[in-house]
This record gives sequence, C-alpha cells and structure tokens, in this order.
Amino acid sequence: MKVPTERIRNFCIIAHVDHGKSTLADRLLEATTTVSAREMREQILDTLELERERGITIKLVPVQMKYRASDGQDYVLNLIDTPGHVDFSYEVSRSLAACEGALLIVDAAQGVEAQTVANAYLAVDQGLEIVPVINKIDLPSAQPKQAAKEIEEVVGLDCSEVLLASAKEGTGIPEILEAVISKVPPPFGDSESSLQALVFDSIYNNYRGVICYIRVTNGTIRTGDMVTFMATRKNFQVEEIGVFGPDMRPVDELGPGEVGYLICNIKSVEEARVGDTVTSLRTPARSPLPGYRKVKPVVFCGFYPIERDEYPQLRDALEKLQMNDSAIFFEPESSTALGFGFRCGFLGLLHMEIARERLNREFGVDLVATAPNVIYQIRTTAGEMIEAHRPSDFPEASQIEEVLEPFIKITGFVPAEYVGKVMQLCQDRRGVFLGMDYITPQRARVAYELPLAEFIIDFHDRLKSVTRGFASIDYEHSGFKASNLVKVDILIGGDPVDAFCFVCHADRAYQRGQEVVRKLKEIIPRQLFEVSLQAAIGKRVIVRQNVKPLRKDVLAKCYGGDITRKRKLLEKQKEGKKRMKQIGRISLPQEAFLAFLKAGDDEEE
Amino acid sequence: MPPAISLYVHVPFCRSKCPYCAFYSFPPAVGDIPSFLQALEKEIALLGREGDLPRIRTAYIGGGTPSLLSVPDWRRLIRILERAFTFIPGAEVTVEANPASLTGGHLSLWKDWRVTRVSLGVQSLQDKDLLAAGRAHDRRLALDSMTRISGTDLSLSVDLLFGLPGQHFRGWGETLREILSEGVDHVSIYQLTLEEGTPWGERPPNDLAEGYPFYRWAQYYLEKKGLLQYEIASFARPGRWCRHNVSYWRGGEFIGLGPSAWGYRKYQRTRNIPDLPEYCSMVARGKSPVCYSERLEGDRLASESAILALRTRWGIRLQDLRRDWGDDLPERMAAALKELPRDLFRRSPGRIALSRRGMRVGNSIWERLVP
Repeated sequence: MKVPTERIRNFCIIAHVDHGKSTLADRLLEATTTVSAREMREQILDTLELERERGITIKLVPVQMKYRASDGQDYVLNLIDTPGHVDFSYEVSRSLAACEGALLIVDAAQGVEAQTVANAYLAVDQGLEIVPVINKIDLPSAQPKQAAKEIEEVVGLDCSEVLLASAKEGTGIPEILEAVISKVPPPFGDSESSLQALVFDSIYNNYRGVICYIRVTNGTIRTGDMVTFMATRKNFQVEEIGVFGPDMRPVDELGPGEVGYLICNIKSVEEARVGDTVTSLRTPARSPLPGYRKVKPVVFCGFYPIERDEYPQLRDALEKLQMNDSAIFFEPESSTALGFGFRCGFLGLLHMEIARERLNREFGVDLVATAPNVIYQIRTTAGEMIEAHRPSDFPEASQIEEVLEPFIKITGFVPAEYVGKVMQLCQDRRGVFLGMDYITPQRARVAYELPLAEFIIDFHDRLKSVTRGFASIDYEHSGFKASNLVKVDILIGGDPVDAFCFVCHADRAYQRGQEVVRKLKEIIPRQLFEVSLQAAIGKRVIVRQNVKPLRKDVLAKCYGGDITRKRKLLEKQKEGKKRMKQIGRISLPQEAFLAFLKAGDDEEE
Repeated sequence: MPPAISLYVHVPFCRSKCPYCAFYSFPPAVGDIPSFLQALEKEIALLGREGDLPRIRTAYIGGGTPSLLSVPDWRRLIRILERAFTFIPGAEVTVEANPASLTGGHLSLWKDWRVTRVSLGVQSLQDKDLLAAGRAHDRRLALDSMTRISGTDLSLSVDLLFGLPGQHFRGWGETLREILSEGVDHVSIYQLTLEEGTPWGERPPNDLAEGYPFYRWAQYYLEKKGLLQYEIASFARPGRWCRHNVSYWRGGEFIGLGPSAWGYRKYQRTRNIPDLPEYCSMVARGKSPVCYSERLEGDRLASESAILALRTRWGIRLQDLRRDWGDDLPERMAAALKELPRDLFRRSPGRIALSRRGMRVGNSIWERLVP
C-alpha cells in the first residue's frame, strides 16, 4: 500500500529498561493487525535469542504498520525500535534521526528513570515530537499522577493530556495510535531531488549478505539503481528494496519519508555503517545527512579460546560477528599464559558480554575473557602519544610523561534514602561530584564525573546492591583526562605474566597488587621449587610473596604388584599436567587459572 | 644355565581385614587353606609344563598374613616349594609375619628351612595408632614378636605406617627409637594411602596426620642410627637391603604364585586372578590363572626402568641406560631432569640418584620421565 508522504508517520519508543517498551510494540502490531494473533509471539520485535532472554532490546527492527485512523484515512506507521542501553547511544541517535516523533514510555509505578531522561533528551535534541505515555497503570502500585508530574518536572514535557495505558492488558492502545497520527508530524522531503537515505542499522544475513535498514529523506530509491554509500564511498547496485511487515516484503521503490530495507550484495556491515547516507551514483546528493561518525570501542578485553587449537575457529567466529556488528574491533594478540587470542574492543560492557555470549552460542566457541580495561592515551617523555588497548601496551615507566584515561559523566536517579550510599560509591570510584537536586522529596538526581575504568569493573552491581535496585543510572562520555595511573606487573618466578598485569590508580596499586598476589598464591600448586610472586611498578616491587616448594609427594610402596599400578598413576598424573596451563616453569590447573580470570571480572576492587 | 630369578608367593589370608588394605586377602573359612595349598602346587605344576623352572635367588612369601598358616600348613608349603624349585646357595628368603599370629613354632620351622629374613607388620608401637588402624595386635605383642625374632639369627625387618588418623609425631619418634632397640636390620615406612574399594577409601577417616614430618624425621633419625635409606620407603643397615625388593626396582624377573600375585618374565607382566575359588578352579582345570598381562616396550619400558631405578639410592647408571635403550632416550630423560632444582639429586660421574629431598617429592620428579 502506497500512501502520500503526509500520511506516513515515523516514530520510535523510548523507555527505561522494563518499562514495557517491547510489550507496547507488540500491542501496536496487534492493534494494526500487522501481525495476526496466530503469528504473535511475545515481543516479536526482539529478534535475537539473546535479547529475548535478557529482556532487553539491542538490535533495531523497524516495522511498518497500516492503520485506518478515526478520520477515515489510511496511514503508514513506521515503528523504529531503539536499543535502550547506553553502550549503543550512537545507534540510538541514528534511529532517532530516522523518526519525526517518539513515544516516551514511563512506568506508572516507578516513574522517570535515568535512561528515560537521557533518551528523551536525545530525542528532544534531534527535534522529535515527544508523546508521553504512562504505562502499567494496571499495577496496584501505579501512581500515574506522580509519574506525570515527574515527566513534567524532569523532562519538561507538557503532561496535561498524557496518555494512560497498560500494554499488558491492552488498554489505551487506540489512543496511542491516534496520538501518533495527530501529534507526530509527517516527514517532509523532496521526491525529485537527489537520493538521500539514512542507514540506521544493518544486519548480516547468511543468504542475502548485508541488509541495510534505511529511511529515505529525499529522492527515491528503486530496484536496479546504482547507489553510493557516502562515508565508505562504496558503490552497489540495488538488488532489492522492501518494507518490514514485520517480515521482509519487497517493493519497487521507496520515496521520501519511507522506511524499509536495502539489499545490494554487500559482504560486510563494515561497508554499510550505521549513520551512512545512501545516494544515487549518477546524481549524488551534494552532502550526506548529518550525524555520521565511526564508532570507536571504549572497552577492551582479550578473548582466548579455552582449547588452544580452537584459535582458527575463534578468528572465524569473530570475523562473522564483525560482519554483523561493525562496532566490534579485534586484533590478534598472544599471551604467555593464554596462548593465542584476540584483543577485542567494544562499545561498553553490555556490548562485550553480548559478543561473548553470541560467540559461545551462535558460533560454539568456548572462550575465556580477560578482565576488561579502557583505552589509555599515554604521552611519552619524547612527546609522542600512544594509544594503549591493554596494559602491556604501556611503555616503560620511565618513558611515561602522563597517562590519560576516559571519563564519563553519570546521572543517577536515586531514592532519597540511598543518596548517601550512592555518593560514597562514586567517591570510592574516584568520582568528582558535579551536582545533585531533588526531583521529588523522595528522589534525587545525582551527577558525578568518574573514570570509565572504575565504572566498567562492577559499578552496576555495586550500585544495585547499595540501593537494592532502586537507583537507575545513565552516562555519557566526557573525554580523556590525565590521571595518576600506573601499570602494575605481576611476576611469577621473576617473569611478568601479561594476563595478570593491570593498570590502576597509583593510590590503589599496593592494595590491588596484594589482592592479585594473594589470589595467585591460593591457586598455584606447590612446585618442585620455590615460586616468587611479585607485583611491581616498573622495577619497583611493591608486593612479594612466595609459594613454598612442594614438601612431599610420593606414593611410597612399590613392589612387584605395585609397579604397573604405579606407572599408570604416574601416567595419569602426567596427563593431568598436560592439561595444565604452563606459565614459564609453573604449571597451573586450567580450572584454577580460569577461576582466577573470572574472579578478576568482578572482584578487582 | 639360565640366571636365577625371584619368586613371590601370595598367601591371601588374614585374621581380619584392615580398613585401609587393598591387597587381596580375607579371613579363611574351613577348607580354604588346604584348597589354596593344593592349588598352589597345581599352579607350579602348570608352570613346569611350559619349561624348566628357573633357579631361585630370592623368595618372598607375603600376603595376606603367611604367619596365619599353622606350622603343619607351613610344612606342606615348604615341601611344595622345595619339590619344585632349586634355591641357589645364599638365596634370600623373606617371610611376612604378623605379631598376632607369629609363634615360636613358626620361627624355628622357618629357621630350619631356608628363611633369612622376617618382615614383621608392626605398623606402630602406640596402641592408640594400632586401634585406629584396626590392627589385630597391640604394642605388647609387637614387642614380644620382635624380641623373639631378634633372638634367632633371622634378620628382622619391620613395617611401619604413618599418616594414620590422629597419629602423633611424638609417638612416631618413640616407635622408631624402640624398634631400633629391638635390633631391627631393616625398616619399611609407608604413608597411609586411601585406596579405592577399601572402607577408608570410600569413607576417609577424619584427622589424617600430614605425612611430611613423619617421613622427614625417619629420614633424619634412621640414617643417624645407621640405617641408610636405600629406597623411597626402605631403610637398612649396610648390606641388609632386601635383595628381593631391590630386584623389583632393577627390573628383575620374578615368578608370582597364588591368587592376585604378579609376575614378570620376558618383559611380560602378569597378574593372577584375585579370587581364591576362581584361582583354584582354573588351575584345577589345567588353565593358567593369569587374568591380566601387559607387555611393555620402547619408551614406556625404558621410562619405567628409569623411574624404578630412581627409587633407590643407587639411582640410574647412565651407561646402563644407554646400553639398553640407546643414546636418545637417556639424553631426553637427562634433559627433563636438568630443568629441576639441583638439590633434588645426588650426582656422581655417570650416575644420577635422588637426594633425600628428591625422595620426598619422587612422584613429581618421576612424572617428568613418563613418556
């Protein structure tokens, strides 16, 4: 069905995690009979298995709905789902750029949360019309009036005509659809001018190659057209265009304001980056659509196959994953303790965890991930700037002029009684207080600036535990700043072991060094010789402990009948050692080694 | 004439079963002992059918509890062995005995036969330890037995256990001192090991003593008193080594007789079926009672030889290794050992043996020699 541009509405839903975004999207699909009840699965828009399990939306799936409004006209509503997580704020901004309006969903019981505000501000900045909806009014604890007041006060939206809904029970859905039509402005664009279409997401499909999700802003795109991706300067012939209903349905052309997909034999998402502009090869647009940037990973960690000979499989899996997700960065690295693996960069911790789980589930690779670290900028005494993706990239201590690390500004919405604890947590994490205000007498908004490195360790978990889950936070990057950081080497038997070394604030080096050495001492079995464990900054040893040598290891009796048994025992013993990790002269049980790295994930403080 | 070899006879009877013991033995029912002796005779006859029985240079009659056989039973056993085997002059013959069943009758019979050593299962001279270990004797009986044996010209060897539940280090020291004053020539010390299929293996007792100090003390004290450690678990006055056991560690051939007995001939290691009725019925049908056999070759055999040799104070003679296995393997083994701390070894030209410290961690060292 083709409708004139003025009867197209492009909108998205923004909400805090668990405020009911996906359920509402499902209800809208049902109400517009885009999906028959038979096809309806729970939260049909979340396609990745992982998203379903975690109940969070990562990948954006646009869907076209047809709706006959109360004015008797047929409209096309394009719902562009957005990822809710801050790791993907760039993707969020691109999908917002494909819309003219947004439904802002607020939980009637919980009120405004950090992500609500962050994403609402993003939408306002993009010039979107925002339609507030208070959801979950069916809950016994619902306080829609209070929620409305919070929206007015915190987000600054007029809530005199706020919509009340219960996506779960299906109440308020027609009103929402009518509001989308009356409040969200239609797109405007010139079908005759040069093509400009925004790539707001792209996914890799085994059979079709890359599928770009596009929103046409100006001009028209047709099957068979030659097109250019303006940022990557790659040319392709359009193989197929279509819309999502919600399954892929080919169409002949997409005009201004229309949202759909584009397939043109692209081999990797790297060539069709989110935010890029598609234009016509013959009559290219003069300029791309604004806002494109290449996303840079901010969190790094090492991925190593648990079985050393699975390195090629891991590489293949990472390559495939990258075809799907161009924000993932990886380069080969090797570690004395872990063998060959990859240094991988991610947009954030969630992004990292998702990648790790997808590698495991979709590609069947068992891997061990080293503790994550941020990217560091190091100014050397020679005046050079070095970017360090891992502690071992650090030059010698004597050559370091200063180290810069990424900082973030976090905004937390915290029940009044937990404000003290949250502030304490932020202070402990080297946070600098930026400000605080009370949204209501019961809830405060707290702002801090703190190093990303302190945030990625286990900030979320700690926050959850000190506030019993009642606080929400959001953050934005605030650039690199100099910090008093040192690289602490961990030496086993005098040899530095890269898998264990870390970067931290100078004030914490001793304590953290002690913790690592203590844990190592617990897991390293006694050897035939004494093993020294040291933590050192440059040449200066700050912690030292020894693993005493093995004192006794002998099965004493060995007569005629014991010889065979004894040999078998030794063979078994040897076989067990073969499965151990060799670190220099030390052999470490694999399990202990992995447990150590795992503990490193969440226990570094 | 073929060289003389060793003989082991397994007597599978005990008065009661110790909770840690994994050897094949049990309290005999009426008729078990005669059946056993009859089957033994038959087994030897079967062996004799394959060719001439070799001459015997060392024999070891163990178990089980050989002293559980009565003197008449013993006479019969001796008759069976004497009829079949030729013992070379000066042959070493050891009998295992238990303080709870050893009698003067046994001793005079053994002495009159050709027994040269008695290995007495003392385990401890602390009643508390003996009780904990479920032994059938007490301190008194053990001391009596030792005195009795010392009164003969039989060489006395004593087995001791350490690492028992609740065992005290002080008691261990006393036990060592007292056995020396009883005039032992030879001591074997064993750490309690929990074996699968034994009551303690299934349900390990609490407060097992850590073995290290016991072993460490024995190494220090016994050597000071003139008993040299000549093997991981064995101490003896010079020249009083158990030649039978030394032969095991040097890869010597031996015939094993009786249910569950192991044998080793022509690189073939065999084990008899560990089941008396089965054993009896097999030999009665003229069938070999062997239930397991393995033939070691190449690297595995070489490494086993090296490991066994390294148990002893004489260690490995590199020249012998090269003669038997060529240059390559000894080089590889030497290289594997070279990575280890030097104080684990005693080196002399052409020879490498474990130091006292090395003996304490033998397992970790031998493991490096496993191919």
